[in-house]
Amino acid sequence: MALLSVSDLIVRFRTHDGLIHAVNGVSFDLDEGETLGLVGESGCGKSVTNLAVLRLLPQPAGRIEGGAVYFEGADLTQVSESSMRELRGRDIAMIFQDPMTSLNPVLTIEEQMVETIRAHREVSKAAARTRAIELLEMVGIPKPETRLRAFPHQFSGGMRQRVMIAMALALEPKLLIADEPTTALDVTIQAQVLDLLRKLTAERSTSVILITHDLGVVAGMTQRINVMYAGFIVETATTPDLFARPRHPYTVGLLHSIPRLDAGDDEPLIPIEGVPPDLRRAPVGCPFAPRCAWRIERCWTEMPPLEPLIAGERVTTTGPAATHQLACWNYATAVEASTGQPLRDGFVAAPPPATVIEALAAAGVDPGAGLVEFGQEGRS
Amino acid sequence: MSESTPATPTGAPGDGVLLEVRDLAMYFPITQGLIISRHTGDVRAVDGVSFALRRGETLGLVGESGCGKSTTGRAIIRLYRPTAGTVTFDGTELTTLEGEPLRRMRRRMQMIFQDPYASLNPRMTVGGIVKEPLEVHAIGSPRDREERVRELFSIVGLDPDYGDRYPHEFSGGQRQRVGVARALAVNPDLIIADEPISALDVSIQAQIVNLLERLQDQFGLTYLFIAHDLSVVRHISDRIAVMYLGRIVELAGSRELHDRPLHPYSIALLSAVPIPDPAVEARRRRVILTGDVPSPAAPPTGCHFHTRCWLRERLGNPPECENVAPALVEVSPGHEVACHFVAQVEGTPEAQPPDDGRPGHQKA
Repeated sequence: MALLSVSDLIVRFRTHDGLIHAVNGVSFDLDEGETLGLVGESGCGKSVTNLAVLRLLPQPAGRIEGGAVYFEGADLTQVSESSMRELRGRDIAMIFQDPMTSLNPVLTIEEQMVETIRAHREVSKAAARTRAIELLEMVGIPKPETRLRAFPHQFSGGMRQRVMIAMALALEPKLLIADEPTTALDVTIQAQVLDLLRKLTAERSTSVILITHDLGVVAGMTQRINVMYAGFIVETATTPDLFARPRHPYTVGLLHSIPRLDAGDDEPLIPIEGVPPDLRRAPVGCPFAPRCAWRIERCWTEMPPLEPLIAGERVTTTGPAATHQLACWNYATAVEASTGQPLRDGFVAAPPPATVIEALAAAGVDPGAGLVEFGQEGRS
Repeated sequence: MSESTPATPTGAPGDGVLLEVRDLAMYFPITQGLIISRHTGDVRAVDGVSFALRRGETLGLVGESGCGKSTTGRAIIRLYRPTAGTVTFDGTELTTLEGEPLRRMRRRMQMIFQDPYASLNPRMTVGGIVKEPLEVHAIGSPRDREERVRELFSIVGLDPDYGDRYPHEFSGGQRQRVGVARALAVNPDLIIADEPISALDVSIQAQIVNLLERLQDQFGLTYLFIAHDLSVVRHISDRIAVMYLGRIVELAGSRELHDRPLHPYSIALLSAVPIPDPAVEARRRRVILTGDVPSPAAPPTGCHFHTRCWLRERLGNPPECENVAPALVEVSPGHEVACHFVAQVEGTPEAQPPDDGRPGHQKA
């Protein structure tokens, strides 16, 4: 049985601007000791999915409106707030992008670490302090006895993130959720922190969900990847498989739009034209359709389900044999994935059908806004 | 673009050099005391930087936060008055220029900023924002300007009819296009782009990178491209200068820097950049630096990098590193390095390029 199993999760936010469709039916499993990457751009729902797992959605706007989150068999969407509080930190810990906002600025590191440990373990203050020193040592903070008495602002960004990792691992959680843990850090410091995370979680066979927009970071850190777009998982595969055989036009687009340090000269970038969809509109059809060079008419009206790449294949959701699945009516072939554009005689990305244009116009939206037109020669 | 032509020695005048920076220093004073403020020290943001930029090329200025790359850009364009050094733009010395002559020179140098949210006035229409430089420099009649704005909008890929909208009505990528249009308005020779894509989403970044490349071809622009992301800098630049704590530690053609990095810091920096390919990631050798970047208010003596240098330790901590600041020396044509022990670097396993052993440069 999987350690964590998210099934058909739906999260929406009620705001002054209307209903935000943040997560639109996300399902995935995670085994013990596995590291899963959640990749996507701002607003794709990767962070919200995990806040929902921990039941930390901003209140009262954010709500889990459907689905279940099973952790060791119990549905976290149903358990009481007090058992949830016990679970957080002890069984599931989280590291955020900006450690300055997750550490209390008016308490010393010692006060915060001792408090965390004593909230879940019945140990004396002195024992908790000894444990805190051990933990700081483990994450490579020099002179931990003196540094314990320091305040968060007295640490550099990299050191603060180490303190966060120490606190997150203090209670030996089974699952660690790391939300863009190195995005705010410089690249040499990022390398230090990722190295540390990789080592510590492997030693303890902690399961990790790594949320990031950086395909380079997931390539080196994860065993499996879910690619998210507009609140949907659009493609999922083992890390080697996803990079070797990307098939969803969005995944293909992402891989072609980032320069690689080791690329040859003059390798052009192929941007994904257009902008992500407005999440205030209920999704109709595939959310990537307006930017997709592979779209066919069906894409405008029907959201494709997440299905195995090889039709009819038995689905394995976790581990190194996990099935490559994607949600696409007209995915890229191997050659198209490597060139970054559709290569079919006479193929033209389908324009939105009249019904879709009418529906948009009726909702007061300019049907042309956000629509990327593709010529016969592909992208310009 | 970016054909790594063997670089001629930098600074050799005459060979189409548009901008020459020599020994540029920018110190910001640290003061203490509320009533009587005493000057107690300096933040040495830029501490002796020299390079030359040829017409039509792109020089990437790369380094981590606080290395002085943005300050260098701002001191060149005279948003700051440099503490020392010279900046020669097309034969004119900029550091001593004031008033009207400075304003006239600024017409030829424009800047694109990182944050398209903060660098556009929210109370002006985007058309007004793009038109402003034309008004400031009194270019054309009011009607010409209107037309020029529409032209600029279509050049950068915006709908010319959007001129009367406000910045908040645009996405980040579109706003950055407005920033590019504003920079282009006065037909500059040099564009200093300070982290122009860092604030944008991944899928949008390539749109702006491609736009900048196309404009360079179209208008023969010269770029100083400042960024922390080495992959992007390598993609767009002909040559790259790596900065650390206010100094350039290595300057080379962008291909050369990747294939044959020679400064211990450049090697560590290159090795730390994640590559979106699990097979490459699995066999890469990373040089993990210890500790943090020291404060530019109290930089280490000698070589600024010596406190974190992996090579120095291996060489038995020679005293030169601590006592003498290494000069930027040309070790092969167009490849300059500031390290006392550059000869010892090359043999180390760390100095091998990160994709060593990879069959080709093809993408999967």
